[in-house]
Amino acid sequence: MSKAMARHSDAQTIPLSFTLNGRLQEIEVEPHELLLDLVRERLGLTGVKRSCDVEVCGACTLLVDGRPVSACTTLALEVRGRSVLTIEGLAEDGKLHPLQEAFIAHGGFQCGFCTPGMILAAKALLDENPNPTEEELKHFMHGNICRCTGYKKIIESIMAAAKKMRPAGSKS
Amino acid sequence: MQFQKDIEILAPREKVWKFIWDVDQFISCMPGCKEAKTVEEGKRYTATMVEKVGPFKVEFPTTIEILEKEELTHIKAQASGADNKIGSRMKIELDVSLKGEGDKTTLSFVAGVDILGKLAALGHGIIKRKADQVLDEFTQAVKQRLEGDA
Amino acid sequence: MLRRFRLEEPESVKEASEVLGRFGESAKIYAGGTELLLTMKEGLVHYEHLVNIKKVGLNQIKRDNGVIKIGALCTHHQLESSPELQKSLPAFVQMEHNVANVRVRQAGTIGGNLCFAEPHADPGTLLIALGAKLVAAKGSSQREITAEDFFVDAYETSLEPDELLTDIQVPEANRGVAYLKFGYLERPSVGVAVALGAGDGKQYIGDIKIAVGCAGPAPKRMADAEALLRGKSREEATRNLPKAGEIAGRAAQALSDLHGSQEYKEHIVGVLLKRAFHSALSQC
Repeated sequence: MSKAMARHSDAQTIPLSFTLNGRLQEIEVEPHELLLDLVRERLGLTGVKRSCDVEVCGACTLLVDGRPVSACTTLALEVRGRSVLTIEGLAEDGKLHPLQEAFIAHGGFQCGFCTPGMILAAKALLDENPNPTEEELKHFMHGNICRCTGYKKIIESIMAAAKKMRPAGSKS
Repeated sequence: MQFQKDIEILAPREKVWKFIWDVDQFISCMPGCKEAKTVEEGKRYTATMVEKVGPFKVEFPTTIEILEKEELTHIKAQASGADNKIGSRMKIELDVSLKGEGDKTTLSFVAGVDILGKLAALGHGIIKRKADQVLDEFTQAVKQRLEGDA
Repeated sequence: MLRRFRLEEPESVKEASEVLGRFGESAKIYAGGTELLLTMKEGLVHYEHLVNIKKVGLNQIKRDNGVIKIGALCTHHQLESSPELQKSLPAFVQMEHNVANVRVRQAGTIGGNLCFAEPHADPGTLLIALGAKLVAAKGSSQREITAEDFFVDAYETSLEPDELLTDIQVPEANRGVAYLKFGYLERPSVGVAVALGAGDGKQYIGDIKIAVGCAGPAPKRMADAEALLRGKSREEATRNLPKAGEIAGRAAQALSDLHGSQEYKEHIVGVLLKRAFHSALSQC
């Protein structure tokens, strides 16, 4: 009986109110919509990538309330009442974030495909642990895969950014 | 995946052979098998195979073709099916041999099983284990059916 | 893309149980979704209703009369960052810290992990060695299932279809605990947990619990291997370790697959058992 009801009833929609890169968004989503598709297709922010589609590679990393999630395997409805940060929202008033500057200065990317996810994950790391050891950094970043750089430059970039971000006055 | 099972049945070869060709009886020993039908006696049969591993359920409408038949001794068959709902196919090559004299028959099954498509994502090991369980249950059921029917 | 489904959002265990009973096989519990959504994306399963149980409030960590109670909806991240757990169950915290990756730990729940019963997982193995009890609720009644009885087969637990796992209870005890895992792939290939007590300045082994996971279809308690070590002098136990490893390896019902051959996994079980035993002993 429930199957017949589902077929004939209107598609269920969920009102979604959330902050995207600091600005309030109000939109309706269906339960089965994925966060990755919402951000890329409906909101046009294509910095976040679909890569492995099974939460393993980290190319789809977004920050929700400052914590990294796999947008490919997160229902869009889960960001109700939360704040979402994409790579497009990292620079402020045209000024690059120290992580972005460090990745450029230290060669932390080649093709750039993993980079948005890599930088967002690194931001979450440094927000939680402003002075990580290399072991702590590697453990946190373990879920972000890069096929180009061999990781050494990524580690250097993050450590350099951490150093720059540490003096008093840096925002957390 | 290759499977081999031998069972000793306390019944003469003629009885076992007759049992194999009694489609309803034989197929009903196979766990998860339903709606067995004869399309062409001795040549072609159909059945639906339903199997479950945890929350993963498959339903294969299956066609069984008899390739070779040697009276009271040997059968070679091929079965194939597809579950379009979950995009998976199954193929089985089956070799059945009967050996033995008097009141004891050794029934041997050699099966080559291929599972293709999404179901393979569950992992070779899990599928092999499930197929092993099914074959085990099947051969035990055949033995019980033949021996109990005294 | 996922196929369309309806979302149900019960606000109590009783309501969740009722919803599950009402929709039967067409509904599935949804918490972190880290396993469920993957299988739905693959097209291996489909549910017309997902029952979001994150509003039911089962995400607390409590210490109650010598028992640590962990809500089923605690995320791995919550568990790895809990000061309470770091104090009372540091080996459990370390295991949680190493589950999957930071994004899966952020969304995934311990309850979801246990109930999905993916063979290549960590928490179940350690919980068996810790003698944990799992509490399952249906309507307004509940029952306790020991961790070692919880896992039936690959992707199969002893939960009934309309039951909810509500919390995991771990008895506090003065013991050395170690969980070691091994693997190159995304999920672990072999996991071994040892919890033991030692007496007389570590000169003899008191009670010991061993569990092996990931190698076979479900994590298992290794009672026969334990028997070779329990109550033995430290020397004798150490001498028996290789034999215990062999027994545990075979009992693990290792399957040959991409993670390794059956023989290889059995061998690794022996290696990890030896290391975990010594690690646990050093903590006593």
